[in-house]
Amino acid sequence: MGPFEVPWSEYTPALWEGLKRTMAFTVASFAGAAVLGLVLALLRLSRLRVLRLPAAVYTELFKNVPLLAIIFLTYFGLASVGIRLGVFEAGCASLIIFYAAYLSEIFRSAIAGVHGGQQEAAEALGLGRISTFAHVVFPQALRLALPGTNTMLVDLLKSTSLLVTISAAELMSEGRLITSATFRALEVYLVIAAIYFALCYPLSQGLLWLERRIRAGIPLSPARRRRLRLARALLAEKGASV
Amino acid sequence: MTGQAPDPGDRAVEQLATSPVRAEVVVLIEHLSKSFDGRLVLDDVHLKVGRSKIVSIIGQSGGGKTTLLRCVNLLERPDHGLLTVAGETIFSGDRLVCHDLARLRQTVGMVFQRFNLFPHLTAVENVMLAQRRAGVPEQVALERSVQLLRRVGLAHRGVAYPEQLSGGEQQRVAIARALALKPAVLLFDEPTSSLDPESTGEVLRVMRELAEDGMTMILVTHELPFARDVSDWVVFIDGGRIVEEGEPADVLVRPSQLRTKAFLASYAASH
Repeated sequence: MGPFEVPWSEYTPALWEGLKRTMAFTVASFAGAAVLGLVLALLRLSRLRVLRLPAAVYTELFKNVPLLAIIFLTYFGLASVGIRLGVFEAGCASLIIFYAAYLSEIFRSAIAGVHGGQQEAAEALGLGRISTFAHVVFPQALRLALPGTNTMLVDLLKSTSLLVTISAAELMSEGRLITSATFRALEVYLVIAAIYFALCYPLSQGLLWLERRIRAGIPLSPARRRRLRLARALLAEKGASV
Repeated sequence: MTGQAPDPGDRAVEQLATSPVRAEVVVLIEHLSKSFDGRLVLDDVHLKVGRSKIVSIIGQSGGGKTTLLRCVNLLERPDHGLLTVAGETIFSGDRLVCHDLARLRQTVGMVFQRFNLFPHLTAVENVMLAQRRAGVPEQVALERSVQLLRRVGLAHRGVAYPEQLSGGEQQRVAIARALALKPAVLLFDEPTSSLDPESTGEVLRVMRELAEDGMTMILVTHELPFARDVSDWVVFIDGGRIVEEGEPADVLVRPSQLRTKAFLASYAASH
């Protein structure tokens, strides 16, 4: 009797489905949490107390409640008062609610970390509020927020495994099903852990690589690459004639 | 003192008058006052800057020089007084008359003590940004930005990021950026105060060239020899009031006021 006895080829389709579900939870929840987190951060930086206060209460509340409690509340709790969310909706809602609180803290400190002179210089150039935010404050805040945000993305991916408690058909849930069919907990969960690692490690390394490129000032968008190429050509050509 | 917005019949004339070429008086300030937390920092100040004139504002730190400069493009809102820029009334009595802040700020360029370049953009993109936001097509904005960088002697540094540039280079990019929207007047807020002597020389050279090209400038500075060389008019501000003003040869060489003499003496002692 060798250590690996589970007929993995039989379970490959199930694992594949689980992996896709895990990715779907991660992408949808992170997108939602990033948007809600940005809105919360902007509210907390508002001059108006009526906007600041609810955002601050939200953040403090959900930062200090365990994710598992939020999952149970949205899935079982709400169902008990007649609001029945599907597993996917309840799972995404829980992750969004929880991670938006953390992301809002990261975004808030990043936006506040952009030097005040930047805003002033943009205003002095006639940029309106929206242009100033979109073209001057936001790109700089994004650079400051990137390391923390990347950590949160990987953390969120791993936290989708808590959705096993509501049988969300993601990777961990599939692992549990395979275990109950084979009674090989050690082998199954080692494989599941390895799959999580294989997802998270390249993701975090890729994000670090992205961070380094952005910090080195390497243009990411094709439009900007084209603009800088044109600029280089113009600068060189005119420089030669002087 | 009326200084109200023009009545609708005058609008067409008013539009023309706002072009920098038409207005003979580019900046007019009368009875301007401003206080922060109950402390009066500008007290009944007046200033008139004609086209192609260079006015230097000197005085001790905290005397109100920078606040006065920042009122011209409404980075600070005055409490009271009259302000017109390029023939258009911006502020009158205690009311903001200007309805198009963006256009005012395109008419008034500003250069800051700490450069305030956008660190996530290269030099040429720093110069381009405001033009693109004002609707100038990409190619036109790019060509103009390259031209401006050449004018400040930085064509070879155009695709460098601000952190890769020396202080003097950054300030010259900032000057190019302020010129990008063809302003009627340039404001300089102690442009050389955070620079070493060599960089100061570079920046002053560029400013001198602008002066020779007929740029209208208001300059808050501690570089008194430079102010004496390039200015048409020097204003000495202390405690929020204009203590003395006149030709540079008078104010800076033969001041009549005791406080001006004291300021110049302390300047001479420290340089």
